[in-house]
Amino acid sequence: MKRRWLLVLLAVLFVALASWLWRERTALRVFPDIISAYTAKEYCSCRYVMLQPADYCRGYVKQSVPISAFLETPEAKRVTVSGLGRSHSARWLGEQQGCRLEP
Amino acid sequence: MSKGWLLIPLLLLTLSAHAEDWPGEQWPTGPAISGPAVEALEQYAFPARDDATRQGIRTDALLVIQDGRLVYERYAGPNSADTLHLTWSISKSLLATLFGVAYGERLFDLQDPAARYYPALDQQPTMTLADLFHWASGLDWQEDYEYAPLNSSVVAMLYTRGRHDMAAFTARHERYSPPGQAFRYSSGDSNLLAAALRNIVGSQRYPDYPWTALFEPLGIRRATWESDTSGTFVGSSYAYLTARDLARVGLLMQRDGRWGERQLIPKAWVAFNREPFVHFQAGQDEAVPGGHWWLNRAADPAIHPWPDAPPDTFAALGHWGQALYVIPSAKLVIVRYGDDRDGLYRHNELLKRAMAAFAETVQP
Repeated sequence: MKRRWLLVLLAVLFVALASWLWRERTALRVFPDIISAYTAKEYCSCRYVMLQPADYCRGYVKQSVPISAFLETPEAKRVTVSGLGRSHSARWLGEQQGCRLEP
Repeated sequence: MSKGWLLIPLLLLTLSAHAEDWPGEQWPTGPAISGPAVEALEQYAFPARDDATRQGIRTDALLVIQDGRLVYERYAGPNSADTLHLTWSISKSLLATLFGVAYGERLFDLQDPAARYYPALDQQPTMTLADLFHWASGLDWQEDYEYAPLNSSVVAMLYTRGRHDMAAFTARHERYSPPGQAFRYSSGDSNLLAAALRNIVGSQRYPDYPWTALFEPLGIRRATWESDTSGTFVGSSYAYLTARDLARVGLLMQRDGRWGERQLIPKAWVAFNREPFVHFQAGQDEAVPGGHWWLNRAADPAIHPWPDAPPDTFAALGHWGQALYVIPSAKLVIVRYGDDRDGLYRHNELLKRAMAAFAETVQP
């Protein structure tokens, strides 16, 4: 009898979790993109718009979620960052336009 | 002799023109002000800085303009007078001031439907441009940054789903209230305005409009304003100016839209920026929304967000402690750039100390 109630409870929890996952599917799908996109964009702007030193900018964009790779190409004023299995690049376009994430 | 008499009115005219200070290439400077009140301000704004833990109040730049003259300036960390600093949401108020130039060109009216200039809003035919300036679009937007990243509309807009076309992303949000009825701070509303501006000024002029219409007339030589993939300015977040140049915008606002002899922005437009949104309720935000600027007074006279600053104080405010304060009654413009990663910094405390240090010494 006790076990049956446990199963019912687990089933209810499972349905709740599944429906939450379904409701939030769009937000969850892009969630891992945030850290690499944020880091690439804001580092690019820190370095090439604000013209701050590289080590300062690395600290400036640091978040609690770690990144796994960081590649800066100063000649192209381009930054590529990976984290949580996703990768994004930002590039400096000009003095007026600043930096933008690449599509 | 008669020639000499003719020169006197000319001389008086020149003298009166000199009585009002304006920046040229550089800011005119006033007498350096020091003493215990300035020290108390510095103790608040510039405690020992820790770039490793990023805790506490971390002022990057503090600059005070008193009646058109630079009287105080200090930088910290790697920042200097040449640093184009990220303004974050100060951009929203810069966007509103930029709209002021277009308003002076009579290119739009505040009660125009937003959809007239941004057709993606055709599902919201009653939403006006004024509603967007009041952050009262009625769209169900979530502004949280770091604390609720999963459902943050602004994080999705800047970095993931919305970044290609931030206005279109905003327009896809559902309605939670009829437009114009309720305040809800929204970077999306600001980017709807940024997109509407393209049709207001025309796509030919749009890419250079912030520079040709606003920055160059103010003598701002270097400024960056980033755009999304569709070419729409990120009006909510991504304008960069030096502290000295942001103060130029402050002086323009302090003097009711006039820059030297030229009324760059109609007085009526600045009055709209400084008019509290009537449906704002106490506690909805840290200051009172006007027309895309923040105010120290509300329709309800009991609301006074910064009790130690004069009621006519208004400001442009941004994430991590960015602020441009304008206090017309004290003839003060204050730029404060920061990198505050905790919520310790208080506008009221800085304003209180800045008033003590700089407000009394204004010459009549």
